[in-house]
Amino acid sequence: MKNSWKIVLLLSLVVIMALFAGGLGNNPRDIPSPIINKSASNFTAQALDGNGEISLADYKGKWVLLNFWGSWCVSCVSEHPYLMELAKVARGRDDFVIIGVDFRDTVEGANSFFSRHGDPGYRHVFDPKQKVAIDWGVYGAPESFLIDPTGMVRLKHTGPLYFGWFEKVALPHIQGKTGGFGE
Amino acid sequence: MGRFFLLFFLLLTTISPLKAASLDEEPSEAMVRVIAKDLRCAVCQNQSVYESNSDLAKDMLEIIREKVNAGDSEAAIRDYFFQRYGDYIYLEPTKKGMNLLLWFGPLAGLLIGGLALMAAFKKWHKKSAEVKPKAEINEDMQDRIAKELKDIEV
Repeated sequence: MKNSWKIVLLLSLVVIMALFAGGLGNNPRDIPSPIINKSASNFTAQALDGNGEISLADYKGKWVLLNFWGSWCVSCVSEHPYLMELAKVARGRDDFVIIGVDFRDTVEGANSFFSRHGDPGYRHVFDPKQKVAIDWGVYGAPESFLIDPTGMVRLKHTGPLYFGWFEKVALPHIQGKTGGFGE
Repeated sequence: MGRFFLLFFLLLTTISPLKAASLDEEPSEAMVRVIAKDLRCAVCQNQSVYESNSDLAKDMLEIIREKVNAGDSEAAIRDYFFQRYGDYIYLEPTKKGMNLLLWFGPLAGLLIGGLALMAAFKKWHKKSAEVKPKAEINEDMQDRIAKELKDIEV
């Protein structure tokens, strides 16, 4: 009897320690997104350049990198040099495009951001009321989603994209070298 | 009697402003409040969409309001956010899957702990109730005691 209680106590301690150890390994920024492996939510929204609207459905048949950002976002400044480079990659390929979604922002703020950090040249949705951002389950900025040519969300990246991300993460998906979803 | 009336009026003055706030509310706004109070402001520390002043919460509240005014049901609106943000969006975890562990784990722990404590108390009680065995005195010791008693008497 005495020993059985000792075993129960020891087992409880082991379970608690295992839960703590598992929890310490989690990255609090990586909140799993339920939209991965699902059809991308379409949007038709005003373009930041004031030139009509942008619809995600128009890009079906191409890989789309949907990048949520805002001129108020500090991490977006650190991400921007890579997006300038990635825009060149996108211009050189006919199967990959980038669409920016400037949310919770003003046109003046976005233009000031481009004049300070450079204009990557691709189109941006203007989403001041965060309707598109909320529809995509976005928490903060920057957040990026890779959508495949059939319109399926293949992966989500929380935080700034880094130099080499396209070759390391996106390209294996585009070349079909990865069987699964996510990074 | 006077004290009773004083207490009654004090209670009335405390409760009436709370009641007034909900009575003045439009039915649609009451539904917005109910839904928004259950949803977590995704960028806050454990605050509901209804209570938070963050921009994201305000815009989420606006979306809830639009959907309520468009005639969407409460379940459909809750599901809209669940489909996009997952379980995390609910302030109160759903009673499904692994979440059952969150709901019933503490109760089970309390029950096991209570039973263990009861068993321990029983054991301690039994131990203290047991009569302690008398110390055995051998013949030599008895002789010595008898001799010393005799010496005292002298």
